[in-house]
Amino acid sequence: MARNRVAIVGAGMTKFVRRAQETSKELAWEAASKALESCELTLDDIDAVVIGTAPEAFDGVHMKSEYLSDGCGGWGKPVIRGYVGGGTGVLSVIQGWYHVASGLFDTVLVVAEEKMSACQPHPQGAFITIFDNITERALGPNLLWIFALEMNAYMTRYGLSKRDIALVSVKNKRNAADHPAALLGDPNITVEDVLNSEVLAWPVQRLDVSPVTDGAVAVVMAAEHVARRVTNKPVWVEGVGWNLDTAYWTNRDLSYPTYVEEAARMAYKMAGITEPRKQIHIAEPYDPFDYKELHHLEGLLLFDKGKAPEATALGITQRDGDLPVCPSGGLLGVGNPIAAAALMKVAELFWQLRGEAGARQVPGQPKRGVAQAWGDLMQVGTVVVLGI
Amino acid sequence: MSLLERVVHIDQTKAWYGEIPIQSRYTVGIAGERFFREIKDNGRLWGTRCPHCDLIYVPPRLYCERCFAHLEEWVEVPTTGRVHTFTVVHLDLDGNPLPEPRIVAFIQIDGTDGGLVHDLGEVDPEDVCIGMCVEAVFKDPAERRGSITDIRYFRPVR
Repeated sequence: MARNRVAIVGAGMTKFVRRAQETSKELAWEAASKALESCELTLDDIDAVVIGTAPEAFDGVHMKSEYLSDGCGGWGKPVIRGYVGGGTGVLSVIQGWYHVASGLFDTVLVVAEEKMSACQPHPQGAFITIFDNITERALGPNLLWIFALEMNAYMTRYGLSKRDIALVSVKNKRNAADHPAALLGDPNITVEDVLNSEVLAWPVQRLDVSPVTDGAVAVVMAAEHVARRVTNKPVWVEGVGWNLDTAYWTNRDLSYPTYVEEAARMAYKMAGITEPRKQIHIAEPYDPFDYKELHHLEGLLLFDKGKAPEATALGITQRDGDLPVCPSGGLLGVGNPIAAAALMKVAELFWQLRGEAGARQVPGQPKRGVAQAWGDLMQVGTVVVLGI
Repeated sequence: MSLLERVVHIDQTKAWYGEIPIQSRYTVGIAGERFFREIKDNGRLWGTRCPHCDLIYVPPRLYCERCFAHLEEWVEVPTTGRVHTFTVVHLDLDGNPLPEPRIVAFIQIDGTDGGLVHDLGEVDPEDVCIGMCVEAVFKDPAERRGSITDIRYFRPVR
């Protein structure tokens, strides 16, 4: 099938904060206008808009993308919203990609926004229907149960300790100390801090978890002929993939994310990647919990099953390691405004591959990276491969 | 297919009742903060102007939705306007008759490109017409809370 080549040519984001005074629209506008400024385009240059935003209940607005549309530059333009929960930020890039790859549009502004502080008393109230309304809700489940059960299954299958997993949280929160937009960067955090933090639902402790966050991120995508005119450093979308497992979490393997592997295989095939461990230089897997980074690295076929913790302990995933993982600081450090968090990962690859990541820049001039998000009812994987 | 159509009493079907337990806290935002402070403290309406598109937004916005400019030019606008369109509401949300019909209008604020949806007062439904000139009636300063209901209603300009 003939497809046009598509590049990301600009990116921008708000600070990630705990409680934004800005309305959701104002957050979206700030990110979107920064992304346009970064590539010296104006709204007039944009053909279509993709809005990525997760559950309506977070911002407390139904028809949320319609509500957000003016802040996302949607006035008088074709606008679409895609939605796969936490996987939305990466899905929105996939949608932007097929808008342009299809030849329908030359330029697309992709904006992801989430304002979780609006959701009271806690956003987990909005997540409650993640559990089955008939067989599980009557038990009074807490959102953390699902992660605790999954984390325990992963630890037990591969004989991992809490300490093995806490290293991820330490790495990402330290990395985030170099991110100007980060909420929870901490250059001095230690494994002991994580292991001594409050137990929420064993084995999940406070510092294993990313924070409730407000923020927005945007990228500008363009067809090749426009991209080459706009910038001398286009970052190409080489592959995209997404996949859903069963919606019943009681019917899937909780220790291995098969859906991430399927999404990765789709993206790698499109990108012509046959040996991901050699051909991927930098990874931004979704890390709302520390164990999820490990889980996802294995699903992305970057490490053998159960072996990502060992690689982490050896420093391979550090910013200066052989495979830098979450050099941005990830959701654990930069913050987790759901859809925006995943788009932040794509923006990070954009900056890293262009050599514009400042204090976060990984050495060695990486040529190709993978970003991945996860969400929906915890059974979706969304993947993009970017390269220069 | 189920035999639901034969179920005379809905409680004969097995069901479980629950709710999605959230409440939302909506900030009024950067532009809204100033708009509502002016209403509360001074009983005045303000808008923001886009110099590129020559539009005055009421309620004020932080940015122009057409050109994306950051709007920094604040302009005081009149508390008068015209009824662009209106309706007369007879039932409440539960379908019960209201004690008095309520007149709800979209009021285009004079000299601006925007307006407010609000109640009309001191007028009978049969006397309201599109194009009618109206003015805002504010609550007493002590009663104002920095909310759109600090405007009691709009009434015909006499």
